[in-house]
Amino acid sequence: MTLPTFILKNAVRNKRRATLSVLSVAVSLFLLVMLQVALRELTNPIDDEGSSLRIIVRSKVSLAQPLPARQLQTLERIPGVAAVSPFSFFGGLYKGDEKFTSFAQFAIDPQRAQPLIADAKVPPEQLEAWKADRTSCIVGKLTADRYGMKIGDRLQFTGQFYPCDLDLRVAGIYHGTADDRNVMFHQKYLDELLGNPGVVGTWWVRAASIAEAPQVTDRINQAFANTSAEVRAESERAFVLGFVSMWANIKTLISGISIVVVFALILVTVSTMSMAIRERFRELAILKAIGFRRRDLFVLILAESFGLAMLGALVGAGGAWVLFHNININQLTNGLFLVFEVTPQMMGLAFAVAASLGLLAAALPMINVARTSVVQGLKTLD
Amino acid sequence: MALPINYSLRNALVRWRSTLATVLGIALVVFVFVLLQSLAAGIERSSANTGDPRNLLVVRKGSTAESASLITRQTLTEIRYFEEIARNEKGEPIISADVLALVNLPRRERGGEANVLLRGVTPRGIELRPQVGLVAGRWFVPGKRELVVSAKLAKRFDHFDLGDTVHTGSGQFTVVGWLAAGGSAFDSECWLDADECRSTFDRDMYSSFLVRPVDEAAGERLIQRIETDRRFKLKVEKEVEYYRKQTMTAAPIKWLGGFLAVMMSVGAVFAAMNTMYAAVGARTREIGTLRVLGFRRRAVVTALLVEGAFLAFFGGMIGCALAFYWNGYTTATMGFETFSEIVFEFRVTPKFVAEGLGFAVAVGLIGTLLPAIRAARLPVIDALKSI
Repeated sequence: MTLPTFILKNAVRNKRRATLSVLSVAVSLFLLVMLQVALRELTNPIDDEGSSLRIIVRSKVSLAQPLPARQLQTLERIPGVAAVSPFSFFGGLYKGDEKFTSFAQFAIDPQRAQPLIADAKVPPEQLEAWKADRTSCIVGKLTADRYGMKIGDRLQFTGQFYPCDLDLRVAGIYHGTADDRNVMFHQKYLDELLGNPGVVGTWWVRAASIAEAPQVTDRINQAFANTSAEVRAESERAFVLGFVSMWANIKTLISGISIVVVFALILVTVSTMSMAIRERFRELAILKAIGFRRRDLFVLILAESFGLAMLGALVGAGGAWVLFHNININQLTNGLFLVFEVTPQMMGLAFAVAASLGLLAAALPMINVARTSVVQGLKTLD
Repeated sequence: MALPINYSLRNALVRWRSTLATVLGIALVVFVFVLLQSLAAGIERSSANTGDPRNLLVVRKGSTAESASLITRQTLTEIRYFEEIARNEKGEPIISADVLALVNLPRRERGGEANVLLRGVTPRGIELRPQVGLVAGRWFVPGKRELVVSAKLAKRFDHFDLGDTVHTGSGQFTVVGWLAAGGSAFDSECWLDADECRSTFDRDMYSSFLVRPVDEAAGERLIQRIETDRRFKLKVEKEVEYYRKQTMTAAPIKWLGGFLAVMMSVGAVFAAMNTMYAAVGARTREIGTLRVLGFRRRAVVTALLVEGAFLAFFGGMIGCALAFYWNGYTTATMGFETFSEIVFEFRVTPKFVAEGLGFAVAVGLIGTLLPAIRAARLPVIDALKSI
């Protein structure tokens, strides 16, 4: 019998315990990976080239305060501004939804917004049809698939923030943006429904180049300083991060809780795994008596607990990886999460935790083995 | 004959070193469960105990939140003199047309920015909300740009001390008072004069009406009368009902609490099982002896189950104690309905403590069941022979 087979035989001789240990490591690492992904998705906005070029201009008072439509001319004249479009969050309830609709509807100007939605892939004839029909819209592929929307369908939205309801015809279906869920329709249609109040929700600006984007933001802010409608311009990324900051203490609390969760499970697992070795104290003493050196015993103990922990990591973290790659998280969480990406760093962390868990579980028995004499060990009954 | 309970309890405690991790593990499971539930309960309570049962709240049909509602000024003049609405001593109808505005303000100590809900109210609006009182300073003077901020928000936001000036866009307000609202949703609001609010934020419309009907029956008639009138497109409901329904913020936290508790308890059950298998293994001879003495299988199983349940209960107590430390702690997050910062307190209720303990005991029992059955099934002779 070679040493590896000896270790293997030892590890699985109490099959029940080995299974329980592996499973509890797996559960804790699965949770660790899942909480990490959730936190990252909630606090880290998508970062692509387009989102650093695009700037959102909102009222300095708050997002809920509309901006005057006349600001368009001033915005267009600002150097470094490549395109400007109204960008009004309609926030309506889709027909059938009671309290919450998982996708947003934005009123924009299809002509002006062309460079802003350049990454949205729409067949040209659909794009033209949308531009031509004031009461039509384009729908993101995720939303279209989810609700089974087809071209030509009519979509009804009940206004929550706006005192009007929408009745839109689907002119096209787009994909290829960072968030393929939104419905885009004509600002003109919204204006008509409201009786042309001469306001927009926010402005959507595209800077000429990434290098110039920060200056453009500053210029926009300055252009409206000391006017009756002061603005706050910021990159799309900064805008989204502003939302994250509003979550306040909840964010800290949930990350704190994740640590507690993982700590609790690790604690429990370490204790059970070292129990397995503690119980074999007599055997270890015998091995010592027949001439195994201390070092050999260390290898024996370490290899066993390390192996079990790694197997647990494989099942737990690997399971999370496979699972999250194969489920439709958007549908499952009703739009709370768009993607649920397990990054290599998280897998690395999970395996690092497993490794230290294996070490920790082996540490206590190892110290005991080193300390106890053969005679004492043979006397141990537990 | 049953084994004395003392046998189980002392057995659980005598191996405290090896069971410590299990106890602590269960303690943390219960801690997380109770803490998240009390957090959700705090958020729910902050809106559920809001309002006066006699009041009716009028908002636009279709808007799920008061802050998103818009009602024309003409509607006010039409509804104002409905006879179902009570009058005060001066003969004025008790109706308050409020204007809600959301302003983005900086937190203290560079804690980023967050939205704060401003409520423009009339003197009637203050009378209609007896929960709200001043704790410092004075009320705003109508016609002046003065602001009364929530004392709880004042601890969190910059320039919210008495005498400070709050800048919002082109508007400036002097903070003249601090209000407190007994842990209700108004504790997350700042109040100012309705007309000043309208002019500063360029609003032509009101957000909501709060009315006091003459009596219960008149209230029913008023709801009928306004809701069936096609011109208005308004929704009327009891103020308390409206606030009770604001559960969107708490729901995901509740869900998370439940989910984590279930996932963690799976791990805890594995651990408890391992601990109890080890306990049974170490006491094989002892159990054999008990059987020889005449204790039945059932008695042995029961004794072991009591032992496991006791361990878990002990862990649960520690978890609840840890969670109770947070009881009453004030914190804040963004409310989904109002889209503004809401302040609330952790509320560890007896219900959650009971649920947490029940949960712990369940984990203990499930974890012990299989080891206990194994112990009971051991043939007596084999058990006695084992070392």
